Amino acid sequence: MLNIITKSLKTGVLTETNPFGTQAGFGFPVVDFSRCTACHECAPVCPTGAIRTSASGSEKTLSVSYASCIQCRACVEECPEQAIGVSHDVEVAAYSRDQLARTASFAVDPASGRATFARVEDQPGPSIAESAERLRGRIRGQLGRSLHVRMVDAGSCNGCEMEIAATTNPFYDLERYGIHFVASPRHADLLLVTGPVTRNMEIALRRTYEAAPDPRMVVAVGACGCSGGIFGEGTYASIGGVDRVVPVDVYIPGCPPRPQAILNGLLVAMGIREARVGR
Amino acid sequence: MTSVASRVSVALGVPPDRVRELHPGELVVEASPAVLLPLADRVVSELGGRLVTLFASDDREWTGQFRVHHVWSLPALGTFVRISAPVDQGQPSFPSIAAKYPAANWFEREVMDMFGLVLENHPNPARVALHDDWPDGAWALRKDFPAEGAVPRIVGEFHPFRPVTGEGVFQVPVGPVHAGIIEPGHFRFGVAGEPVLYLQLRLFYVHKGIEKRFEQVPWGHGLFLAESISGDTAVGHALAYAHAIERLAGVEAPPRARALRVMLVELERLYNHTADIGALATDVAFVVAASRAQALREGLVRLYDRLFGTRLLRGTIALGGVRRELSPDGHEVLRNHMRVFEKEFDGLIKLLIDAGTFTDRVDGTGILTTQAARDLGIVGIAARASGVDGDFRRDHPHDAYAGLRFEVPIEDGGDVRARLMVRAREVEQSLLILHQVLDTMPESRLVVPLPEQLPPFSSALGWVEAWRGPCTHWVATDARGDLTRVKVTDPSFLNWPALVHAVPGNIIPDFPVINKSFNLSYSGNDR
Repeated sequence: MLNIITKSLKTGVLTETNPFGTQAGFGFPVVDFSRCTACHECAPVCPTGAIRTSASGSEKTLSVSYASCIQCRACVEECPEQAIGVSHDVEVAAYSRDQLARTASFAVDPASGRATFARVEDQPGPSIAESAERLRGRIRGQLGRSLHVRMVDAGSCNGCEMEIAATTNPFYDLERYGIHFVASPRHADLLLVTGPVTRNMEIALRRTYEAAPDPRMVVAVGACGCSGGIFGEGTYASIGGVDRVVPVDVYIPGCPPRPQAILNGLLVAMGIREARVGR
Repeated sequence: MTSVASRVSVALGVPPDRVRELHPGELVVEASPAVLLPLADRVVSELGGRLVTLFASDDREWTGQFRVHHVWSLPALGTFVRISAPVDQGQPSFPSIAAKYPAANWFEREVMDMFGLVLENHPNPARVALHDDWPDGAWALRKDFPAEGAVPRIVGEFHPFRPVTGEGVFQVPVGPVHAGIIEPGHFRFGVAGEPVLYLQLRLFYVHKGIEKRFEQVPWGHGLFLAESISGDTAVGHALAYAHAIERLAGVEAPPRARALRVMLVELERLYNHTADIGALATDVAFVVAASRAQALREGLVRLYDRLFGTRLLRGTIALGGVRRELSPDGHEVLRNHMRVFEKEFDGLIKLLIDAGTFTDRVDGTGILTTQAARDLGIVGIAARASGVDGDFRRDHPHDAYAGLRFEVPIEDGGDVRARLMVRAREVEQSLLILHQVLDTMPESRLVVPLPEQLPPFSSALGWVEAWRGPCTHWVATDARGDLTRVKVTDPSFLNWPALVHAVPGNIIPDFPVINKSFNLSYSGNDR
């Protein structure tokens, strides 16, 4: 017993005062559209279809979605123009799948076939600021400074679970934010759901959602939870993103997202932090 | 013909021209379905074979037949042997070996579920992979089954749980959504008060159709799919897949890559074993030890992030080598971390086994007997904690393992304590291995290029002794050189039946700690 106390005193407090703002070696790919020539060589190397392209006579587009990005870096290595860099910011979250994507269009010179960057398109649906306001309106007076979370694995590979579990370790200690994992959906304000939602978990996920009292929030975690990820959507076994089955309030992309990204996403769902996709 | 192949030919009593060495350490024996069981008998009795995996392939497009494959490890000969038999599509049935070799039980039922091949003389030919709401005749791994599109649900209960009867005896259903931050699965306990009479499992809730998906995506992308078979074994599965593709293509990773691969496999073992030991402490409410283990685990994954830019070692393996280099600076960082880690880890183990409150909960809890482990074909840490020796790193050395000195720790208890101690001793060995790798790190490029196309109509087995046990990938190509079948075997698939034997006789409150001591992957099992 004495040993335990001595050791604990020696160890001191491991919890980081501010778990946010730490830089990661690799966050998400960021395309410098001004250098991009729309050669589209990055798209076929992307294993999840996070990079989509289109080409019609005079216009080309390139779209990158963090919702399905597994941070494999294949596009970064492939780009012949070195136009794809990396962000070191991992605290990425959004209120819709569309907010996680950026689409650029390029004008094609009919004579040379050369494409030059024209503009970044507006994403469909509400902006991040509008969504943030709407979410705050929904939880105002309903959720206070504590949040009870029921975690549901609806098909994950267990990578996200490991990083979700890490948010409870002494370094991150998410309970200091009033966030607590509970054993039953009946006690939960929020379902933290990983995916892809499999055919065999669809009913269980629906029932868990229905068992949670209103106002129930849903946070989708990981590339698979946000979009089906590497497993795809609409296969015989994988339905895909969590929003294919239950409405999702906040998306936390990444494969898997780091503990501070998960913590950030939960604080976004509480209305304490505002979502951001990039700096 | 190599001497190993001729020995196998003699031992199995098959003509020498029926035994071929496909790749180094991998034999294939052509057989007829009728002799599958007698051949299995000979593999086990004459050669000390252990079942590695059992699966089917749908070759109807070019041979008009299905095939059933039994893959055995022959540790004494340092080789694998795959016994392959055709199954006629007009009469799609094949003889079961499960009554005599229970390790084949789930494998054969999965073949039935996914290929619609009928089992002859199987003791329990019930569905294992398909849930009750799957329609009959929807055999997902047949080539003519569409990968896309929902499978309709049908209503009814077709393989009910075994009932319990008697006064004061009842069932406790648990899951699929569990109370903790873990994966989904359903456990049905038959209990008399607290003691468990028996346990039934229903898994495959997280079946993602991974084997089918391997057939759909380019083989280069398969590496990323392999990393997501079981998130805690990203290196193990990616490396097993890379081995299979490299053997198929006839290339070998360069020396430095092979050394770095050993390093990555051991680093994966370190963080998982540390986390598991912490989880055992959590499950018996020993909070101080749990926190210390969590801190050690977080320290490790932060180290990996610093060294390779990835916490869980994803994206480190390449087809033909590795994708991440260890900088000269990284050598020193790793050595220093290991020095501190080793001391802290020893302290953690001492803290646990010196605490009566802890040992009271783990000694004699959840015993898997040596006999049961042997009969069921249990592998990895679970087998080694029940006195069954076996480790592919030593028996079928891959990458740079052949040149390294290490021991394979064996414990005889078969209880939670034994599984804890196997992990603790393996951590020591991992540290020894890592020091050796750092001391002898060769210089070379990191990747050898692979051909644009894989050879047609070829197959190869890839294997890795990952932290939980052996991960194997068997890959085969079609006429175009595209992958037509990938069979993924996670050690969990072989080991889940162990839980059914280890739990009865214990009380329900000890179930979490027993389950955690095996820490089997649901995703790796269900795929």
